[in-house]
Amino acid sequence: MSQVRTVGVALVLLTVLILPAISAPVAPQPGGTLVIGRGADSVTLSPYASAAPDAEVIAHIAETLYELTPDGRIVPRLAESLPRMGPDGRSMTIRLRRGIRFHDGTPFDASAVKWNFDFILNPENRAPFRAILLGEVTGVDVLDPYTVRLNLRRPFVPLLAHLTHDFLAIHSPTAVQRAGGMRPPTGEPYGRQPVGTGPFRFREWVRGDRIVLERNPEYWGPSKPLLDQIVWRVIPDDGARVLALEGGQIQVAVRVPPRETTRLALNRALRIERTSSVRTIYIAFNNQKPPFTDVRVRQAFNYAVNKRAIVQTVLGGAARVSDAPISPGIVGYSPIQPGGWPYDVNRARQLLAEAGQGGGVNVTILHPTGRYVQDAAVAAAVQAQLRAAGINARLQTMEWAAYLAYTNQPPDRTPVEMFMLGWGTVTGDADYGLYSLFHSSQWAPNGFNRFFYRNPQVDQLLDQARSETNAARRNDLYRQAMTLIWRDAPWIFLHSESQVTGLRREVEGLVVHPTERILAHTAWLRR
Amino acid sequence: MEGAGGHRPPLIREGPVGRYILKRLLLAIPVLFGVSVVVFAAIRLIPGDPAQIMAGQAATREVVEEIRTALGLDRPIPVQYLYFLRNALRGDLGRSLFNGAPVVEELAQRFPRTVRLALASMLVAAAIGIPAGIVAATHRLSWVDTFVMILALAGVSIPVFWLGLNLILVFSVRLGWLPAFGHETWRHLVLPAVTLGTASAAVVARMTRSAMLEVLSQEYVRTARAKGVPEGRVIRRHALRNALIPVVTILGLQLGTLLSGAVLTETVFAWPGVGRLLVDAVLARDYPIVQGTILLIATTFVVLNMLVDVLYAFLDPRIRYA
Repeated sequence: MSQVRTVGVALVLLTVLILPAISAPVAPQPGGTLVIGRGADSVTLSPYASAAPDAEVIAHIAETLYELTPDGRIVPRLAESLPRMGPDGRSMTIRLRRGIRFHDGTPFDASAVKWNFDFILNPENRAPFRAILLGEVTGVDVLDPYTVRLNLRRPFVPLLAHLTHDFLAIHSPTAVQRAGGMRPPTGEPYGRQPVGTGPFRFREWVRGDRIVLERNPEYWGPSKPLLDQIVWRVIPDDGARVLALEGGQIQVAVRVPPRETTRLALNRALRIERTSSVRTIYIAFNNQKPPFTDVRVRQAFNYAVNKRAIVQTVLGGAARVSDAPISPGIVGYSPIQPGGWPYDVNRARQLLAEAGQGGGVNVTILHPTGRYVQDAAVAAAVQAQLRAAGINARLQTMEWAAYLAYTNQPPDRTPVEMFMLGWGTVTGDADYGLYSLFHSSQWAPNGFNRFFYRNPQVDQLLDQARSETNAARRNDLYRQAMTLIWRDAPWIFLHSESQVTGLRREVEGLVVHPTERILAHTAWLRR
Repeated sequence: MEGAGGHRPPLIREGPVGRYILKRLLLAIPVLFGVSVVVFAAIRLIPGDPAQIMAGQAATREVVEEIRTALGLDRPIPVQYLYFLRNALRGDLGRSLFNGAPVVEELAQRFPRTVRLALASMLVAAAIGIPAGIVAATHRLSWVDTFVMILALAGVSIPVFWLGLNLILVFSVRLGWLPAFGHETWRHLVLPAVTLGTASAAVVARMTRSAMLEVLSQEYVRTARAKGVPEGRVIRRHALRNALIPVVTILGLQLGTLLSGAVLTETVFAWPGVGRLLVDAVLARDYPIVQGTILLIATTFVVLNMLVDVLYAFLDPRIRYA
């Protein structure tokens, strides 16, 4: 009897001690509240949104017709299938899913889609992203209750990628009216109480403090939300945010500073995730100002900077050396020079000598402080490295608002020689990352070509790619354009940032998207 | 600092308190008017365009122009100021350029939080500073005095964010006693109040010490001692009551500083008060919020100064309004 008992006890002990250790992944558990700490609050949760802190909250409440997956594919969401292009490329027909309702109970259908797009397209409403996202759309037709057609000014293939953008998410027209409409510039009063079709419903927003969403039990999608609530808390100080994570007051901390990662890696209650971002960091030359009008000088600067060392040391490995003007994960990306622009000081000196600058170059480099990860430290590293090639760089920084204005002057007035900036290709399509920056029609202050680059061949390739419907041919056009840009070297091509996110161990299924949004649609908490 | 503030001259020795307050309030009008002109002009003279920031880096010039027109920023600055003044006199400070929220509403939501934090910090400052100053004064030039004064020096020298983060590290992360951020309950108030109150406690300790030393050397104190009054009673009844007068002045002025200078503490503890509102608004060139917040802070200073003067006369029997 006692032997049986002993064996029994031993078996129970074995089960208790060993089984949890060898048990495979636990099935997702419903319930719980996920608290995400981030540095900035949202401004509006309406189509008047203009930044990532808005987008990542909207993405849980209101859905887009298409979705950009973290690996850079476009898949249908509220649409039933990929769109059909008209024979002349000047229309796009989209079939919608049936049986979906907004959180207020009203149906999602073609008229709701038309209402949303019409609102943004109406210039009087002054939606900030109208020109960028829907600039080529002239109107929307309802073909039947579940089919819409977008009419285009000219063939414009990037539109499909634009439709994945959270600023084009479909909101409930009834809810907008009930809330009292949307007024520019920020979509008040609706922008504080959004209603969509998404897996989470809006619950509360205390400005500067927190936004609370709750599970939508009637969510239509195949993967049901598991969390009871998602809370975004604003903790502006990087150090304080990390401490709140260590103390367990929040379960996710965004933008963990590189200096903290080594220490946090030792904490068994936490894990650190590094996710690539579509944000490319560069130092641009004023391409219209000597000596930077000479391609040899621009190339020499690229040879003189050791990007790999900067990524390894200054950024603690939390970045990827640029091998093209845009980052991986963007439709149309291909590596132009694998490994990045080579580091070769002798070649830099030689090119400078050939360009008649052998006696040394004096230049001022502008950089922001605190806008991008370690931006000031990166600029200082570049300055030190340039010295070895006989380039004497002076660093100058300014506060962000002033910086934006200062670098946005027309070519005949700007005093700028070199400046650091970043560009996030948030539509996930190369057009947004290349046309806006390198096309000569986009010279500042009209567009974002603040470095006054002009190459007629590049212009032509970028124009062509906009209307090329064949994906392979379109990729090839972008590859050609990027090869020319790379050789012309209008920038020092630095790196694309990684997003460093701190999570408590119990957090599962969270997606850190390359477009710099935290997505908790399928997240759950292990208990 | 030795002895400073002990001879603050009262502005009026005669006349009823009511008349005095009225006069001070009337004097506040040109002060606030001046503040509004300076703030209005200064925030517009620094480079940076709110329309550009709002529209984002990627916006076209057309969009930026549209926003600028919509916000009325295309009008001449003096005209903008007259509009602002007209509305302000009606109690309307405009709307945030960024989130469209009425400035008055935003301030009404955030100012009470900052007041709560400032009052709690002042409590910390008084509770630590006054006893420390008394002990230092009564043990003058002993090791206790030196120790307290070194602590006081450290208190004013330690950067707020360093102290705040270390308090979080110890009491929130290691011990788990108090929350690291948030503002819902009194437990959320402890760490920020200690962080913010420490520097003021140091100032109050130094002021209390010097005021006590001055009073303790007075003849009436010597007389009291000569009469055989117990030392504890000499300190409490004879010395402290008189020494507190400059301390009250300092506390009043510290409250003004605490109300407007809580920016770093509010940032470290994610405390959504007016300090953070102001810094965020300056960085984003949110003109109406900047104007409204600074006017509020200026008003607070004016009112506090007045209250300190009234209280001063109340505490000092030599000063009377009537």
